[in-house]
Amino acid sequence: MTEILRTSPLDAVHRALGARLAEFGGWEMPIQYSGVIEEHRACRESAVVFDVSHLGSVRVSGPGAFAALQWAFTNDLNRIEPRRAQYTHLLDERDAHVVDDIIVWWLEPEAFTVMPNASNTEPLVAAIKAAVKTAAAGEAEVLDVTDSRVVLAVQGPEARARLSTFWPEAASVGHFHVVPVTWLGESGWASGTGYTGEDGVEIEVPASVANELWDAIVASGVTPAGLGARDTLRLEAGLPLHGHELGEGITSLQAGLAWVVRFDKPGGFRGAGALRVEQEQGPSRVLRGISVEGRQPPRGGNTVFFGGDDVGEVSSGNFSPILGHSIALAFLKPSVELGAEVTIEVRGRELRGTVVRPPFVRRP
Amino acid sequence: MIYPDDLKYTQEHEWVKVTDGRAMIGITDFAQDALGDVVFVQLPEIGVSVLRSVGIAEVESTKSVSEIYAPLTGVIAEVNTALEETPELLNQDPYGAGWIFVLEVGVEAEIGGLMDASAYQALVEG
Repeated sequence: MTEILRTSPLDAVHRALGARLAEFGGWEMPIQYSGVIEEHRACRESAVVFDVSHLGSVRVSGPGAFAALQWAFTNDLNRIEPRRAQYTHLLDERDAHVVDDIIVWWLEPEAFTVMPNASNTEPLVAAIKAAVKTAAAGEAEVLDVTDSRVVLAVQGPEARARLSTFWPEAASVGHFHVVPVTWLGESGWASGTGYTGEDGVEIEVPASVANELWDAIVASGVTPAGLGARDTLRLEAGLPLHGHELGEGITSLQAGLAWVVRFDKPGGFRGAGALRVEQEQGPSRVLRGISVEGRQPPRGGNTVFFGGDDVGEVSSGNFSPILGHSIALAFLKPSVELGAEVTIEVRGRELRGTVVRPPFVRRP
Repeated sequence: MIYPDDLKYTQEHEWVKVTDGRAMIGITDFAQDALGDVVFVQLPEIGVSVLRSVGIAEVESTKSVSEIYAPLTGVIAEVNTALEETPELLNQDPYGAGWIFVLEVGVEAEIGGLMDASAYQALVEG
């Protein structure tokens, strides 16, 4: 059976720019334009734009929306307020593994946009619908609007300055704030969020006006960047990628994201029981960074050794364009301390590295 | 894509330049473009005897790793150590500064089995 890949409303624009496309979570998206390293540097030094329309957009609205999301996700919406964004997790009810990591945009008192990873939109919609019933705090409509809009991420130290040359209302959104914006007469949203470790803005507009927005962003001096650079950027920033640092068999606590989990929030949340057991016992492994000597990239699945013992496994690894050597994220036994000198076995060779706390590259 | 006429080619997208019993080897323009940004090259060891079609080096990009095969039987005579610090030479100049190694050809008859530029172009462009 041939899988039919979904494409962004900007697909023709990407092809015209000579983008190399690749499959990602059931979508065919740009992996690179000029080259991963050039795009990576552009994000650290000036500004880039990613088409991230493959992320899901699920609108949850109605009197029961707040309570449903409070039950469905680990973080506590009481810590924010309308017009703010929050990073949160959806857990499996039985073993508390992270089904998905999510950004929630709280648009209006009774309206939210929930943004899952591409391949997780369907299970997320099902989980929220179930939560509406469980929380029993009123009706809520759950609508997958992914096909109707594009999401562009403008990221980098100059992202806001470039954006402000033609669209100050989007450029001025605060860090983790969400504001309504108007583009060519159409309503959209801008959010001060991203996935690169840099400052930036993520923008949602209707698909019908997406081409004009992309063109205006690029004309303001922002470099198009693909999902290849997005991956090397998030790795330098120590940010988890679903399927590597989160997913089947991996909990929020193992991934070092305990701050996303609010055990004390009123009413509890889905998966809390199973996760509390792990919290009391302490996780059997924790996510660490490994600063690797040399340029050879470790890859997911490579074994990590400390003092001759197998102490864990690499989840993601690559060459760091900014540091000039390789870096990795790895799940290690908690007994392996920061600063430990480890080796990573890569196709029969041993790479030397030091256990560190991510991020590898910090915004100045 | 560029396919210089003075080179021979393999199915594995390597080029071979034979001069006086020595063969210089690298990857083709098509190969470097398909790989994307090269970040690491594992060079073979000088003095090692290699058999045709055996993997002897690795080229790794931000997204994948590819094996480099010996296109001919012989002995590794030189390696391009510049690639250790500047592997991007493979992308920038695949037929020149991005060469990977030189071997002393052991079996002259094998050279006839390599493709010429037009045959390789046909392979790539179908």
